[in-house]
Amino acid sequence: MGYGEITASKALALHFLCGVGLAAGYGIARLGCDLSLVADPARTLRLLLVVEGPVIIGIYGWVRRDREHCSMRFFSVFTGGDSIRRLLRGDCSDFPLILIPLVQCISSGLLSSGALLNAFGAIVLGAPVGLKYWLSTIYWSSLMSLFTFVPAVCVFGTSRTDWQRILAYSKPKEGVDCLISLPAQGAVIGAWLGAWPMPLDWERPWQEWPICVTYGAIAGYSVGMFASAVFVHVLGRKVHVKDD
Amino acid sequence: METAGGSKWSLIRPFLVILLIHSLAIYLFTRGFLLTRTELASFSHCSDLTHSPCSSISSSHRRSNFTPPPDESPDELHQDRRCWTKPAVDRLVIIVLDALRFDFVAPSTFFKDKKAWMDKLRVLQKLASAEGSSARIFKAIADPPTTSLQRLKGLTTGGLPTFIDVGNSFGAPAIVEDNLIHQLVRNGKRVLMMGDDTWLQLFPDHFNTSYPYPSFNVKDLDTVDNGVIEHLLPSLYKEDWDVLIAHFLGVDHAGHIFGVDSAQMIQKLEQYNSILEEVVDVLKSESGAGGHHENTFLIVMGDHGQTTNGDHGGGTAEEVETSLFAMSLQSPPASVSSVLDSSFCYPDLDGRKLCVGIFEQLDFAVTISALLGIPFPFGSIGRVDPEIYALSAHTWEGRGTGTNDCQPSSDLAAWKQNYANALCINSWQVRRYIDLYSATSVIGLPIEDLNHVSELYSQAQTNWSDTVSSSYLPMGTPDRIQDSEESPFQQQIDAYSDFLESVAKLARSAWTEFDGPLMGVGLSCMLVSLAIHLLAIRRLNILCKPYQNALSILGNYFSLVSPLLLVAIRAASFLSNSYILAEGSVANFLLATAGIIRLQRSISEWKLPTNELFFLLLSTIIRFGIEIGMSKESSASTFLFTFSKNIFGINEGDPLLTVLTDIFPIILLFVLAIMFYKFISGICCWPHFRYILYFGTVCSYLLIALHWASESNLMPISLFVQYTGRNFAPRVVYAIGFGLLVLSVLSRFLDSSRVTPTARMTVLSLALVSSWSPTILILLGRQGPFAVLIFISGAWFIVKSWREGSIESTRRDLGASVIDPIPVIQWSFLAVCLFFYTGHWCTFDGLRYGAAFVGFDHFNIIRQGLLLAIDTFGVSHILPILSIPFIITLQLQNSKENSAEGNTFLYLTQVFLIYGLITATTTTLTIICVTIQRRHLMVWGLFAPKYVFDAIGLLVTDALIFMASLYYY
Repeated sequence: MGYGEITASKALALHFLCGVGLAAGYGIARLGCDLSLVADPARTLRLLLVVEGPVIIGIYGWVRRDREHCSMRFFSVFTGGDSIRRLLRGDCSDFPLILIPLVQCISSGLLSSGALLNAFGAIVLGAPVGLKYWLSTIYWSSLMSLFTFVPAVCVFGTSRTDWQRILAYSKPKEGVDCLISLPAQGAVIGAWLGAWPMPLDWERPWQEWPICVTYGAIAGYSVGMFASAVFVHVLGRKVHVKDD
Repeated sequence: METAGGSKWSLIRPFLVILLIHSLAIYLFTRGFLLTRTELASFSHCSDLTHSPCSSISSSHRRSNFTPPPDESPDELHQDRRCWTKPAVDRLVIIVLDALRFDFVAPSTFFKDKKAWMDKLRVLQKLASAEGSSARIFKAIADPPTTSLQRLKGLTTGGLPTFIDVGNSFGAPAIVEDNLIHQLVRNGKRVLMMGDDTWLQLFPDHFNTSYPYPSFNVKDLDTVDNGVIEHLLPSLYKEDWDVLIAHFLGVDHAGHIFGVDSAQMIQKLEQYNSILEEVVDVLKSESGAGGHHENTFLIVMGDHGQTTNGDHGGGTAEEVETSLFAMSLQSPPASVSSVLDSSFCYPDLDGRKLCVGIFEQLDFAVTISALLGIPFPFGSIGRVDPEIYALSAHTWEGRGTGTNDCQPSSDLAAWKQNYANALCINSWQVRRYIDLYSATSVIGLPIEDLNHVSELYSQAQTNWSDTVSSSYLPMGTPDRIQDSEESPFQQQIDAYSDFLESVAKLARSAWTEFDGPLMGVGLSCMLVSLAIHLLAIRRLNILCKPYQNALSILGNYFSLVSPLLLVAIRAASFLSNSYILAEGSVANFLLATAGIIRLQRSISEWKLPTNELFFLLLSTIIRFGIEIGMSKESSASTFLFTFSKNIFGINEGDPLLTVLTDIFPIILLFVLAIMFYKFISGICCWPHFRYILYFGTVCSYLLIALHWASESNLMPISLFVQYTGRNFAPRVVYAIGFGLLVLSVLSRFLDSSRVTPTARMTVLSLALVSSWSPTILILLGRQGPFAVLIFISGAWFIVKSWREGSIESTRRDLGASVIDPIPVIQWSFLAVCLFFYTGHWCTFDGLRYGAAFVGFDHFNIIRQGLLLAIDTFGVSHILPILSIPFIITLQLQNSKENSAEGNTFLYLTQVFLIYGLITATTTTLTIICVTIQRRHLMVWGLFAPKYVFDAIGLLVTDALIFMASLYYY
């Protein structure tokens, strides 16, 4: 097994967990808090964020554990402690203690820098600005950042070569690349496509920003997750054939 | 140039071929799509009635029944030879208030919210709600296209004018069809017209007396109205007319310039209220027995509505709903209330019950003809409106048996008889028209619908014979009429109404007859031209090859597919009316997407993406500009102004802000001048020409600044300076622009200096741009400098990011990157975005008519048309296309390879071809979408104007590219 390799079953499990996280978030919103995306997009998005955030950070941190020779500097800078590293490596001995810095630092640091990028993209593309929308824009872009930016940072840290490879999306050679880039691309393309119904004169409540864009993003993310699981499976077989 | 002569022509030839094919395709498609209704040259005559089934009855009673009204107006000699219907009205006053919304007239209690502009015409409401009055307010439904010319044509002919006339709005052609005014004149009615001069263009020699005033200066709210007021009241005391038409334009113009919710609009409405009060007073005072207006009918109406932005032309409810107020000076009997529809009643402001009727404008011509007793216009397909017909007292006079003492006891029965008789003639006339129309017109109307309609007619007609026999055969016993139920006539009326309604429905649904084969041929021509375009690009690829190091012509897969996809998506978006409405936002969305793709590419090459980020920032600014440009008032002011107003909540009256909005464009103008200087001083050759260019440009900029300063009321300026600034300065700017253009063309042909093609092209394109830009700037108004600045910086970032990309990319050669279509697509999208950013949109009221009058007060079709065209296409077609060579020259400046120099023209041709291909693709898809949606509800409101704009834009693009290629090569 090469560097950064990941088995198909593991990838599948990983995506399954992410999907479950999303579904759980939506279920809690729907049943527990009686929230829906159409009625109150901002609070629903916040809830999704709270549920999905730790899931994604935890899961991709677990992926990272398998990649031995990557620097942890990036995380150390952000969190300023070994605790995160230990947590990310699966050492959960002092879990409750480090939970607080984890949530604080990662969500404020990572999430917001990714969210800023996504929000900028959305506004450039025509997302409405104004007091009525800014809260949902923040939560939406944070969710997008969870789909796109956070997993990549969790896995690659500050490794330049990895980032360049991911951004150029030249042929994915590694399972991990697929694992990260395909769902992220799916989410972005899905959100882009999700914006298209907005100008239509159907006068449905879901045509409001950011509801249909969120639906698009989640749909794209799911498709991306599925595709990446398939890819990892195919790549894994290729490697096996080569090994033989 | 440096290549062989044959080669130069071989580069230009494709542009000529494409231009010709596009012209042919658009000509053919337009002929097929924008067909006018076949106008029949037949006219109705008094004597025609003998052919109608109604004549036998009426003629037998006509002579005996007719009792001339007591007061003899000088024209009565015509009336005693009664024509078609019995005249019910002697004199008619029609006051047209252009763009009169329904809620201008109806009381605010009819609507959910009370708006500032409502309840201003109180006099009409009071008259309508007064007890036992003979006045009534109608909601009048116009048929799109709701432009004044089309509406006047529709109102007078009683037909459905088709779209093609919209294009003639600037020079209205005379109506050749049979129409109301023609019938009036033919039957000895003297028509007095005052107001909008469109009437005079439609009816050049019909009016006895006319006081026309120019209608196209939309900035002018008062000239037309004051002229009408001057003549209206004195004329009411005179006897030298039978029909008076007064057409006010102020509300329309106030809407166009300021919008409905503005102080000017309310002022205008209040002015109208007082005028109408006076008019009604005069009419009432003269309405006694023997007075001038004893049997006069007053109509106050709008020709169409308007949106709250003041736009009209389309088919939305706000645009088609106008109002009509009708009042008879002689009150009909009290039983009129049983005829009038009372389903739409609310208490008015004083708490009295006020009912409003519904009226189709289609019925106007025939209703008026019936009231005046003249033949109905031949091509009219309307129906005599029962409510307006009932308002006139004379329609309640029974025909009896010839002696007045033997009138039917029931007014209502008499009226129904009269009305049924009018409808009989009406139906016969419509039937005659439909028959002749389907016989003479090539395609005609759908056969099954025609059958259905004629079935209805024959049904009604047999019914009629029964009714008549039952009520007329016992001629000697008028008691039969008295005794007879109202039902036979009522049934008759219903049967005729049924027929007439289905004819109107048929006409509305199937009138515009598209010529399918012609449209198909036009569309195939467009598709062929696309193929030729692609072939030409491919041929150039092969030509470029010897100079290229790499053969990877098309780059990687993604870079080819994504731009194609962007163009395809934009083109496909025209399938939906929503996307056409939001076209500016869609274009900007795609522009930003292209920017993001470039950003991603640049990041993946691990460079700091400064240019790309700036470009995205710029597209954000454009995006806000487009959103704001959708609302009316802001299109004239700068982006900063509205931005600060919206974001920081500074109100309009803030003095600092007014200063800022006046000063800011002028400062930007100087920034532009400095940029121009910087650029021009970097040029290596032709020093004299350079100085002339610079001097001319700076002079124009100073004059533009003077013009704006004189328009603002910031500082006290003497009258002389104000006049110079207002009218003289723009003209000098146009003259300088033209001079520079001539000079640059001359110098291009006269020069023989040996400079590199790149440098030469830079100078030439700079000369072109500098000769056009001042004219475009001054026409755009204060938003101009900012828009041009956005274009320049956008273009700069596009070229810059591209250049860096090509230098650092592994494919170093220019040939490969010239073919990279993303920058060209960005360029084209930027141009589209700027079209919307500068407050244009693809409808005819989206034209900025105000721009046509920069520097001129008077209307001249060629001059103002030219200025309007330059304003419309200036920043979105002329500037971007003329500055395309900068893509090449800026790119080549940094290159050290000499082999590239010889290739300059090949690259330029290629970029031109790609740019043309993008425009042609979108236009082709527009044509396809229009073809698919030709039965859509909004086809005349939205799709057809979009098609016209795209088609003209494509031809302008082709012509400019062809001319530019002649000029540069």
